[in-house]
Amino acid sequence: MIETLLLYLFAGTALLAAVAMLVLRHPMRVALALVVTMLALAGVYALLGVHVIAVFQVLIYVGAVMVFMVYVIMLLDVRDRSYVGKFSRLLVPASVGSVLLLAVLARALWQDLPAPSTAVGETAFGVQQFSIAFLNEYWLHFELVSVLLVVAIVAALAVIKAGWRDHG
Amino acid sequence: MNRLLTVIVLLPLAGFLVNGLLGNRLGKRFVSFVGCGLPLLAFAAAIVCVLDLRTGGFAPLVETAYTWAVVGDRSFDISFYFDRLTAVMVLIVTGVGSLIHIYSIGYMKDDASYARYFAYLNLFLFFMLLLVLGRSLLVLFVGWEGVGLASYLLIGFWFDDPDKARAGKKAFLTNRIGDAGFLLGMFVLYQGLGTLEMERINAAFMSGPAPAVSASLVGILLFIGACGKSAQIPLHVWLPDAMAGPTPVSALIHAATMVTAGVYLVARLSGVYTHAPEASAAIAAVGVLTAFFAATIALVQTDIKKVLAYSTISQLGLMFVALGVGAYGVAIFHLYTHAFFKACLFLGAGSVIHALGGEQDITKMGGLARKIPITFATFAVATAAIAGIPPLAGFFSKDEILWFAFASSFGGSPLLYAAAAGTALLTALYMFRLLWLTFFGASRLSDAAMHHVHESPPSMTGILIVLAALSTVGGFVALPHFLEPLLPLPEVRPERVAFETPLLFVSIALAFVGLAGAAFLYSRKGERAERLCRQFPALHRVLTGKYFVDEAYERFIDRPLFWISERVFLQFGDRKVFDGTLHGIAALGRRTAAVLTRVQNGDLHLYAFLVLAGIVASLAWSWRHG
Amino acid sequence: MDKIQMLVALSAGLFALGLLGIIVRRNVLVMLMCMELMLNGVNVMLVTFAQQAGSTAGAVLVFLVFVVAAAEIAIAIPIVLLLARRKHTLDIDAYVDLKG
Repeated sequence: MIETLLLYLFAGTALLAAVAMLVLRHPMRVALALVVTMLALAGVYALLGVHVIAVFQVLIYVGAVMVFMVYVIMLLDVRDRSYVGKFSRLLVPASVGSVLLLAVLARALWQDLPAPSTAVGETAFGVQQFSIAFLNEYWLHFELVSVLLVVAIVAALAVIKAGWRDHG
Repeated sequence: MNRLLTVIVLLPLAGFLVNGLLGNRLGKRFVSFVGCGLPLLAFAAAIVCVLDLRTGGFAPLVETAYTWAVVGDRSFDISFYFDRLTAVMVLIVTGVGSLIHIYSIGYMKDDASYARYFAYLNLFLFFMLLLVLGRSLLVLFVGWEGVGLASYLLIGFWFDDPDKARAGKKAFLTNRIGDAGFLLGMFVLYQGLGTLEMERINAAFMSGPAPAVSASLVGILLFIGACGKSAQIPLHVWLPDAMAGPTPVSALIHAATMVTAGVYLVARLSGVYTHAPEASAAIAAVGVLTAFFAATIALVQTDIKKVLAYSTISQLGLMFVALGVGAYGVAIFHLYTHAFFKACLFLGAGSVIHALGGEQDITKMGGLARKIPITFATFAVATAAIAGIPPLAGFFSKDEILWFAFASSFGGSPLLYAAAAGTALLTALYMFRLLWLTFFGASRLSDAAMHHVHESPPSMTGILIVLAALSTVGGFVALPHFLEPLLPLPEVRPERVAFETPLLFVSIALAFVGLAGAAFLYSRKGERAERLCRQFPALHRVLTGKYFVDEAYERFIDRPLFWISERVFLQFGDRKVFDGTLHGIAALGRRTAAVLTRVQNGDLHLYAFLVLAGIVASLAWSWRHG
Repeated sequence: MDKIQMLVALSAGLFALGLLGIIVRRNVLVMLMCMELMLNGVNVMLVTFAQQAGSTAGAVLVFLVFVVAAAEIAIAIPIVLLLARRKHTLDIDAYVDLKG
C-alpha cells in the first residue's frame, strides 16, 4: 500500500520536474530540475526492487553526468540571447506534435500489457547476481563498453587539444 | 540469248560507272567512245531482240534478272518484258538516244565536266530502259524515279549558276507530287489484285469478272503520276525551266524519251483504261486543255528553247488526247514521230546557239538561213513535220489523232476535235514563226556577231541530217497497225465514218494556213505582228506571263506552306512545344529543388521537429495498417 | 491504472517532454539536458519490463545505456564549449553554418 503510494509520488515528482525543466529560464535551474528527475527515478527503480540500477543511476547519472553539466554551466556565460527569449519559433507546432506523439504512444503501449507480478525475489537484482551475469554471460558487452570509454577519453583529449590550438 | 534484255539494261549502267569513276582520268576520247559506244551496242542488242520476237510469233520475251524481296508467300522480282510496245519504245530510246549521245560529242566539246555529262547521260539511259523494259510496276517505278533523278542532275548540270540549280530542283519536286498519285495507284492495284505485273493487271481487267478495284480510281491516280512526268496541267511548270540544262539534254530527256514515260504508262495499262471511261475522259480533257494552252503560250515566247519546250508540252497533250479516246497505238505513233522531229528541232536549236556563241533570244536573230545552211535545212524539214505538212511524219500521226478525237466511240466528240484542230493550227503558226524569226528576214545581229556565225561540226550536222531524214520517212511505218494486236484501235462511230476524207483535207489545210499566217505576220520586219500585239495588250501580257501559273502557285501554295512551316511547326511546334516541354521539365526540377532546399537551413530545431513529425506519422500509419 | 501502465505512461511522458524540449528551447546546454531526459525515459521502460521478466539481461542493458550516456556527454560538452567559444553565444540560432 505504502509502496504503491511512494511509487506514484516518485513518478509524479519525476514528471513535474521534467515539466519544470522546459519552463525554467536559467540553465542552472534546469540542471537542478533534471537532478530532481533523476533522483526520483532512482527512487522508482529502488521501489521496483532493482537496487543495483538505482545505485548506478545516482552514481553515474547524477554523480558524473549532471556534475559535469553543472560545471559547464558555471563556466559559460549564460545570459545571452537564449536567456532572453527562451523558446524557439517552433513552440506551437512542437507542442501540438508532442501531444500527438503522446496519443500515439499511449494507443500503442497501453493495450496488451502483461499483468504485474510481484513475485520477484530481492536477490534477483542484487549486486552479486548482477556482476556474475555481467562478467560471465555478458563479458563481451563489458569489453566493448570499456573500449567505448577509452574512445571517449581519447576524443575528449583531442577536443581539448583542438581548443588549445585555437587559443594558444 | 535468254539474258539479252538484262544486257540491254546493264550496258548504259556500265557506261555510267566507267565514265563516272574513271572518265576524268582517261580523257575525252575514251569518254566519248564508251559513252556513245555502249548505247549503240544496246541499240544493236535491241534489234536482235526484235528479230527474236518476230521469229517467236511476237510472243512476249520475259526474263527474270533477280528476286528482290520475298515477303511471306509473295515475291517481288526484277524482271523484264519485251513485246511489240516495248520493242517500239526500246528502239526509240536506244536509237534516238545514241544519236543524241554522238551529237553531244561536238556540242559539249569545250565543257570542263565532259566525263560527268556522259556519265549522267548513260545513267539516264539505264533508268529509261529499266522503265520501258520493266515487267512489274515496281521496276517501272524504279526507272521512273531514276529518270527523274537523272533529269535533276542534268538540268542542274551547270550547278554553279543558282538559277539552273533551282530549275533542277523544281523539276524534281514537281515530279514528286505526281509520284504520290502514282504510288497510291500502285497501292490500290496491289491491294485489289495482289500483283504489280502489268500484263497480269491488264489480263485481270480484260478477261474474267470485274475485279474489286475501281479501274477509274486507279486510272486517275496513275494519270496524276503521268501528269507530273509528262508535264501536263497542273504539273507542267517544270518543263520550260528545264531548258536551263544543256540542249542535247533537252532533246533527249525533255522531248524524245523521259516526258513520254507518262504516255507509255497509260498505253501499257490499256487494259485498265479501256474499262475506265471516266478516267479516260479526264485524260482527254486534260490533254487537250494542256495542248491548247501551251500552244498559245508558245506563240509569244522569245527564247528559242522555250518555244520548243511549250511545243513539247502541247504535243504531249495531243498524245494524251489520243490515249483518252482509246487510240493507244496512235498515241505511241505520235510519240515515235515526235521523237524524231522534236529531237531534230532541239538539236537544230543547239546548233544555232552554238553558231551564235550562246545567243538564245530569237528577237536578236534573223537572216541565218544562208550562213548555216545545213542547220537551216534540217530545222525547216522538222518544222514542216511538226506542222503536219504531208508526206512528212508528223502529218500521219497528227491526222490519226485528230480523226480519232472526232470519231472514236470511246469519248470522241466534235468539241474535242475542234480544240485539237485549233491546237494543230497554232502549232503550225508558232513553229513557222520560230523558223521565220530565226532564219529569215534581215539580220538583227551585230555585224561582228554575224561575222562569227559558223556551221557546226559534222558530228552535229550529221545527226541533224539523220533525224531530218527520219522525220521525213518515219511516217510511212504503219505503227498503229503493228501495235494493233496488242493495243486495239477503238471503234469508230458509224455516223462519222463519212468524215474521214474531209477531215484529212482539213488537217492539210490547217498546216498550210499556219505557214501562210506566219509568213504574213512576220514578213517585212514583222510589223503586222507588232500591230496585232498592240491591239490586244492584255491578252499579250497574259500569254507572255504564261498565264501566271508559277506566280499563282507561289502565292497560293508556297507562301501558305512556308507560313505553316515557319509559324506553326518551327516557332510553335518546335520551339514552344518541344523545347518548351524539355525546358519546362528542367525548370520544374529546378524549382522543386529550390523549394526542397529550404528544409536544410541549418536550424537544428527544425530538424528535430521533423524527426518528431516523422515518428508520429510512421507510428500512426503502422497502426492504421495493422 | 496499475503499476505497469503508470510506469509506461511515465516513460512515454518523459520521452515526449524530452523531445519537446529539444525543439522548443534555444539554449544548447538545455537541449543537451533534454536529451538526457529522453534517455531516462527509455531507461524507465527498460527497467519496468526487466523487473517484470526477472531478466538479468535487462539490468545489464540498462547499465550499458548508462555507460553510453556518460560517454556521450563527455564528448558533447567539450564540443559545445568549443562552439560557444567561437560564436560567443549559447543560442542555437547562431549555429546555422551548415545550411543549404
